[in-house]
Amino acid sequence: MQSAAQGAARTVSVNRVDGRLKVTGGARYSADHLAERAAHGYLLLSTVALGTIRSMDVAAAQRAPGVLAVFTPFHPLKLNGGGNPFSVGHSWLPLQDAEVRYHGQAIGLVVAETFEQARDAAALVSADYDVRPPAASLPDGIPRATDPGRVNGEPAVLNLLADGVGTIDEALASSEVTVSGTYSQPMKHHSAMEPHATVAVWQDDQLTLYNGTQSASLTLGTIAAALGVEPARVRVISPHVGGGFGNKIATWAHPLLAAAAARTLGRPVKVVLTREQTFTVTGNRSAVRQTVTLGARRDGTLVAVKHQAYSSQSTSGGIFETSPHTTSRYLYRAENIHLDQKIVTLDVPPPTWMRAPGQESGSFALETALDELAVELGMDPVALRLRNDATVYPGRNVPWSSKHLDECYRVGARRFGWDRRDPAPRSDVRGEWLVGTGTASAVYPAERFPASVKVRFQADGDVAVSSATADLGTGMWTVLAVLGSEALGLPVDRIRTDLGDSTLAANIGAFGSGATASTGPAVAVAAEAASTELIKLAVTHERSPLHGVPAADVRYDRGDLVAPGRRIGFAALLQAVDVAGVEATGSTAPGPEHGQHAFTSFGAHFCEVRVNRWTGEPRLARITTVIDGGAIVNAKTARSQIIGGVIFGIGQALLEGAQVEPATGRIANANLAEYLLPVNADVPPIDVHFLNHPDTLFNPLGARGIGEVGTVGVAAAIGNAIHHATGRRIRDLPITLDKLLD
Amino acid sequence: MRAFDFAVAETLGQALTRAGSGAGSAYLAGGTTLVDLMKLDVMTPRQVVDINRLPLRGVTTDRSGLHIGALERMSDVAVHPLVTARYPVIAQALSRSASPQLRNMASIGGNLLQRVRCGYFRDTSTPCNKREPGSGCPAIGGENRGHAILGTSDSCVATHPSDLAVALVALDASVRLVGRDGTRDVRLADFYRLPGDTPQLEHDLRPGELVTRVTVPELAWARRSAYLKIRDRQSYEFALASAAVALDLRDGVIRDVRLAVGGVGTRPWRLPEVEEALRGMSPRPDAVEAAAARAVADARPLAHNRFKVTLVRRTIVRALTNLAG
Repeated sequence: MQSAAQGAARTVSVNRVDGRLKVTGGARYSADHLAERAAHGYLLLSTVALGTIRSMDVAAAQRAPGVLAVFTPFHPLKLNGGGNPFSVGHSWLPLQDAEVRYHGQAIGLVVAETFEQARDAAALVSADYDVRPPAASLPDGIPRATDPGRVNGEPAVLNLLADGVGTIDEALASSEVTVSGTYSQPMKHHSAMEPHATVAVWQDDQLTLYNGTQSASLTLGTIAAALGVEPARVRVISPHVGGGFGNKIATWAHPLLAAAAARTLGRPVKVVLTREQTFTVTGNRSAVRQTVTLGARRDGTLVAVKHQAYSSQSTSGGIFETSPHTTSRYLYRAENIHLDQKIVTLDVPPPTWMRAPGQESGSFALETALDELAVELGMDPVALRLRNDATVYPGRNVPWSSKHLDECYRVGARRFGWDRRDPAPRSDVRGEWLVGTGTASAVYPAERFPASVKVRFQADGDVAVSSATADLGTGMWTVLAVLGSEALGLPVDRIRTDLGDSTLAANIGAFGSGATASTGPAVAVAAEAASTELIKLAVTHERSPLHGVPAADVRYDRGDLVAPGRRIGFAALLQAVDVAGVEATGSTAPGPEHGQHAFTSFGAHFCEVRVNRWTGEPRLARITTVIDGGAIVNAKTARSQIIGGVIFGIGQALLEGAQVEPATGRIANANLAEYLLPVNADVPPIDVHFLNHPDTLFNPLGARGIGEVGTVGVAAAIGNAIHHATGRRIRDLPITLDKLLD
Repeated sequence: MRAFDFAVAETLGQALTRAGSGAGSAYLAGGTTLVDLMKLDVMTPRQVVDINRLPLRGVTTDRSGLHIGALERMSDVAVHPLVTARYPVIAQALSRSASPQLRNMASIGGNLLQRVRCGYFRDTSTPCNKREPGSGCPAIGGENRGHAILGTSDSCVATHPSDLAVALVALDASVRLVGRDGTRDVRLADFYRLPGDTPQLEHDLRPGELVTRVTVPELAWARRSAYLKIRDRQSYEFALASAAVALDLRDGVIRDVRLAVGGVGTRPWRLPEVEEALRGMSPRPDAVEAAAARAVADARPLAHNRFKVTLVRRTIVRALTNLAG
């Protein structure tokens, strides 16, 4: 058995094994599945935010060409409210009542022979509502904010105070220097390149659901429960996902309705959301308003960190931003820490997990406040962060398994050329551009879930490595191949990977930046188990050249079985005994190490911005990001993930935000022309560096996870650089040119 | 999208005959506005006449100036040597428009007739005076960061979306219009209408008429011209403010100047009073800014677009001072 290079820093950098499929159009995403006789569904959405549907006029739509059915709350598809596990993204099931809870809620499904017929018939449906005025503004709702109870397993209001300190305000009052700021950001949308889509196919009371998802198993459980069928009669297939970012974990209205409609109509039904529909039928990130107050000694030592947040929540439920508890809770050492998370429940679409949920917003507030403190102290922002580097998890006194945030800063500063910086704001003017630099920390916890992997030696000489995990474009196809290659001592091109199918080895999927950390260790265990099975076959089968050799004398070596004086390849063995393949499943799960250490990925961002002195637009010149994410399995796809995370942060900093109309609850910019995401022209050169220190206390692979950490802190680094360039501190995202015009 | 009749015209005469009185009929060129709005149910023509086979092509010059066929694609005109050499402002306005995919499809005539990007116009679940006269204008009290500050009315505040039109208005271009009753040339500046009480009437095109070409008068000093477009992101976005400038600069003094702004008006906004103030002036930033203030004397900002009053002045200053170099 080859060691899976356990604990050793990797330098592997291979191309995506699914790359050719993707660039040639061969990769089939959910909507690409062309089921025979498939009908097409188009969702009807509410055009008011709050009220009750009195009636719906569907007569014209029913008469329209090609229309098969129009389902509404008055002619519903039956769905069951009970059952477990149940991961619908909102607290209600579609069409089961006539209530409208937000603008753009699913209130019907038109099914027709073609997509165009369904869409055009949908335009003929009108709904009559009893309308009530919605609450849709976070600032307006703050006076009636509520305490969510617990956040991340801790009280929503949490005090970690030094002995003898009564309140955080006492600690602030005794601080030599304090700064305080209020930071806000709008509701945001994941905007994955692949819109949500489902194809539901029933055959012999078995449902096959092609549904782009981060978790085939969660989708399966939810669909089975909602449709009232045995989980064993549902299969979810999702080999390629065109971006998830947290919005393809929960199950939304469209797969529920597609599966139910397909059952009712007796033919496959495809539902693809339009871009506009993805904004309200699926989840979002809470709007957040935060206040951070820092108290410090003159030497920069933090005495008090007070972090309060109001996050928008939906009357339909959902996952709200937990900004203080995911950042100020543990990012820096401070004698006194106070966290306070409140929620403001609004008549808006439900928030859900969105890349670095909590850290994304929390780091903007905390890392901007630190920059404000550095300016107040006249201290270098890097030195300030190094001064307050936490070596044990605050309040728990457990050490980190592997933490190198200080090294991120030292390496990053050198790569970026930070020491050339004149700290004075507006000190670097080049022609019509004001130039500035800024920095901020990145942080994201390492997650690990139980996972199984199957390894199968095939008579054709390849080895299949498979698991029911997901590849969101992140590189899991390739990671499985690389890890299979290492565990089996075979070239990557002899590993056949498979994933994204609920019938494969059990795996909860890809979220929480935990897919590699969860699935990776199981590859080595499965490889070991499969090679044991191979040896067993070799010594027991009478046509085997190794028949009768004691199993203890046979070992697996790079695709061969080796016994004293003899060596045979597994393919030759399987052909000799006429067996198509030998397989085994290996499973791993987090163990007792959890609780003894804190497991967290860290990073440091440095960026240079230019702000036009006349017209105020901020433009990025370059970014350096150094990541402490444990061992890196495949440098090439890892780098892409961090670049993607940084670009996500550029959107947060400079462009993104839903315009929710306070009076109507309507999102005024629910399309990609007006909900602005960075385009290539907005993305500067991004220098990514991995420290690559394996975290073997976390798992044998030493890999933590890098899907989200790259986003965290980017907005603060950019905002801090804008302050350095212009002398203006913008605490309201996105930082657009209108806020910078003097 | 509603069902419609589709016809392909081989000749100008066929197109005009097919369109007839124009009622319920739409011409299809690149389709980047029409098809988009038909899918949204905003435009519901009963008949669509494809004019792409008409011979309305070519970029040529003669004594009267530069002629651009109405069916030339934006991407082709943006790189045409006659355009890039003699009228950089046109080339730049085109290359900063939309996205490469859209520029490859969209025609010059269609660009000048494109509908507004106002989100309320595009959403049939909301009122809009332009879409349904008399239904109201939610943009005035709604999301209006991108809307106009010049030429607005109580009926409509939508910004004219075309970059090309701003450059052409600065250069005194005209369009040739052909209809069943004959051919006429109209200055582009006179072609576009203010919304007033009738925002559904956007221009002076008569029913069934077709734009066949654009003519830009000869202007030797337009070789020193530029289009500056200010927006949040660096591609695929409409202007928050833009300036089309041509400069006749001799011995450090502005002898003559052409100036129009975009992203701020309900139509492309020529600024004769600023041009007048600039003539004879040395293009120093402070002096230009003082002159540019005249551009916004009549501005009517809304809740979210007040910044445009400053931004458009700065855009003019930046464009002019960069061009004066």
